[in-house]
Amino acid sequence: MTIDVKSIDPGTLKEIYRQMSRIHEVDKAIQAGLSSGKFMFTYWPMTGQEGIPASIAPLITSEDHMVTIYRGIHDQVAKGVPLKGLFAEALGREGGVNKGKGGSPHISDPSSGSMLTTAIVGAGAPIANGLALAEKLRGTDKVTIVNFGDGATSIGAVHEAMNMAGVWELPVIFLCQNNLIGEYTAIPDYTKGENFTSRAEALGFRGVRLNGNDPVAFHNGMKEIIASVREGKGPVFVEAMTNRLGPHAGVGWSHLLKGDDLKAAKTDWPVPATRQALLDAGICTEEELADIDNSAKAEVAEAVEWAMNSPVTGEDEMLLDVYGDPDVVPRRGQRIKREAEPEWTGETKTMAMFEAVQDALDLSMQADENVYCLGEDIGDDPGGVFKCFKGMQSKWGERIRPTPIAEQAIIGCATGSALVGMKPVAEIMFADFVGVCMDQITNHAAKQRYMSGATTTVPMTVRMICGGGIGGFGAQHSQSTEAMLLHQPGLKIVYPSTPTEAKGLLMSCIADEDPCIQFESMMLTYALKEEVPVGDYRIPLGVAKVKREGTDITLVTYGWQVMQCLLAAEELAKEGINAEVLDLRTLLPLDYDRILSSVEKTGRALVVHAAVEFCGLGSEIASTINEELFTKLKGPAARFGAAYAPIAYSKTIETAQVPNVNSIVARVREMFK
Amino acid sequence: MSTSLTIPKLQMSSTEGTLAEWLVEDGATVEEGQPIYSLETDKSVQEIEAPAAGKLVQKQPAGETYPVGTEIGEIV
Repeated sequence: MTIDVKSIDPGTLKEIYRQMSRIHEVDKAIQAGLSSGKFMFTYWPMTGQEGIPASIAPLITSEDHMVTIYRGIHDQVAKGVPLKGLFAEALGREGGVNKGKGGSPHISDPSSGSMLTTAIVGAGAPIANGLALAEKLRGTDKVTIVNFGDGATSIGAVHEAMNMAGVWELPVIFLCQNNLIGEYTAIPDYTKGENFTSRAEALGFRGVRLNGNDPVAFHNGMKEIIASVREGKGPVFVEAMTNRLGPHAGVGWSHLLKGDDLKAAKTDWPVPATRQALLDAGICTEEELADIDNSAKAEVAEAVEWAMNSPVTGEDEMLLDVYGDPDVVPRRGQRIKREAEPEWTGETKTMAMFEAVQDALDLSMQADENVYCLGEDIGDDPGGVFKCFKGMQSKWGERIRPTPIAEQAIIGCATGSALVGMKPVAEIMFADFVGVCMDQITNHAAKQRYMSGATTTVPMTVRMICGGGIGGFGAQHSQSTEAMLLHQPGLKIVYPSTPTEAKGLLMSCIADEDPCIQFESMMLTYALKEEVPVGDYRIPLGVAKVKREGTDITLVTYGWQVMQCLLAAEELAKEGINAEVLDLRTLLPLDYDRILSSVEKTGRALVVHAAVEFCGLGSEIASTINEELFTKLKGPAARFGAAYAPIAYSKTIETAQVPNVNSIVARVREMFK
Repeated sequence: MSTSLTIPKLQMSSTEGTLAEWLVEDGATVEEGQPIYSLETDKSVQEIEAPAAGKLVQKQPAGETYPVGTEIGEIV
């Protein structure tokens, strides 16, 4: 490799080398610490790839966004993440940029523009789209660069993200640091493709291959690309050819590059090569280069010492940053009293749930210009498959964003934009589809506040429709999937049973500081109409509501099962059993106080839900009631959910497998035997 | 200031490592970055480089397997 020093400003090349030297000293310090046993953490060395972020650094500022992966220490250093906080984070210390709660694979440092680091290969790409979309909607010229390895090109998230970026012409650069090895498996063992740039071309945008080891060629190539993205000319995919001189994890040299391969790779190593080029061209003297290296070494030594002196993050931080408000974390016996919404005395209008949802979306968009909506088919026509968006795109333009059929891209985009203060509302249509974007919801949106030590938050809302109870939707469009999401700390979940509550809860979710999920029942979307408050109307999260007062048993329920329970209560009344029906409305934060207060009064409880009974929310609530109120109960609290089978297409089976009026009545009768 | 040498945890799954061979004699002077011993784990054999310059003091014999964190030497 010959570095053409004449094609770059000498000062810039010197600056690029200074960044390389800093990265190299950080790498050396980590490897020395691990080798000597002073540090105990997993490290994914990026030795050999230093030239890529070092050459980009002079072209961007802390205002530009970066997303990277666990093999990304070089990206963090060059982006300007403070070294003291970086080392302290890798060591799990209080002084870490993320309070030691994320660690080196989850760095977030918004002050330098390092917005999110993922340990899930390829998952950063959809999130980068969100950052880029936020800047595009705001009309800034900031660029977003998402780094990933060549291994990530195999995963669906990258493809989904590239397709969305292409069609939306987002100001994002997909920077594939191609070291030819994905973890332990090298090309051509994992792909038959000869290059990755053609994948971008296939999706309608530019793919450029550059030599990531040559700081001059790479800097100059990136200069033109970054300028083009800044000008709004759409995304670019960059395949930066490089070498990974180290192993997948650990220290030392790669054992996948054998003999001459390792030797050849070392001659392309940009750190010594750039140093030599500066010397040969007479740009720097040996003394000047030694000064650069010594100053980097001193900066790193000071950072390591500072980090080692920072206390290990303690247990008192355990339940902080799961949510903005630590009281949202569910704890047995916790009886937080949250005030209910005042009774509405203002104007009302007759609405079905889909109309109430649209009203909430429309009002939220009026109130806050950061609110925007995205989802499949939400543009006009058809205005959403559930008609919640009818006419919205015509009214709001680019703030209503019909997407490709790509749930990972949708949720990643929402997450990324929320990191910079947008308030996205995503629709992923049927609740069963959550499986497609589970990684984005659970590993990213839900965990980001915690992993980043609250330096970033994800104030997004996701709506999903449960098709159960109607029949004919089959196993993949009928399930009530709340239990899957309740098991992921970091999410708030609401499940309204009326149009009014759908509106009030949704408006609260959109304004909330944490990621919220609203489940809407297909059973109720069109069938149930009522008088809904007009204008801004919010129901606080975490407040259950008694829908029917009773004295003999509490039916704790939510969603479309509320109606089933109310009907069951009327049947039971004929037999002399006076049931109270408590509609949870919010599943998390859970209103333990109103649940326990009601059961203290009635002495019996049955939790009813449309989701599968086994390991469902009903088990959790029944167990808490039994533990907290054991001596006051007339019988054990129980739960009643769907039979343990996928939802059947046969209407007869579906009716039988999900709780309904008759089966709820029968279950309650058993409890009184 | 001396630098302690302990069996490193190089992989998420490592619990122990075999000190296969000392590459530098006891008491010899080493340069920072010079390979000083080879470590065998279930995944690989790796030459471990000196984290600092100084005189190597060997504290454990080669050919044995030690739990992660065991002090095997020192650079003084």
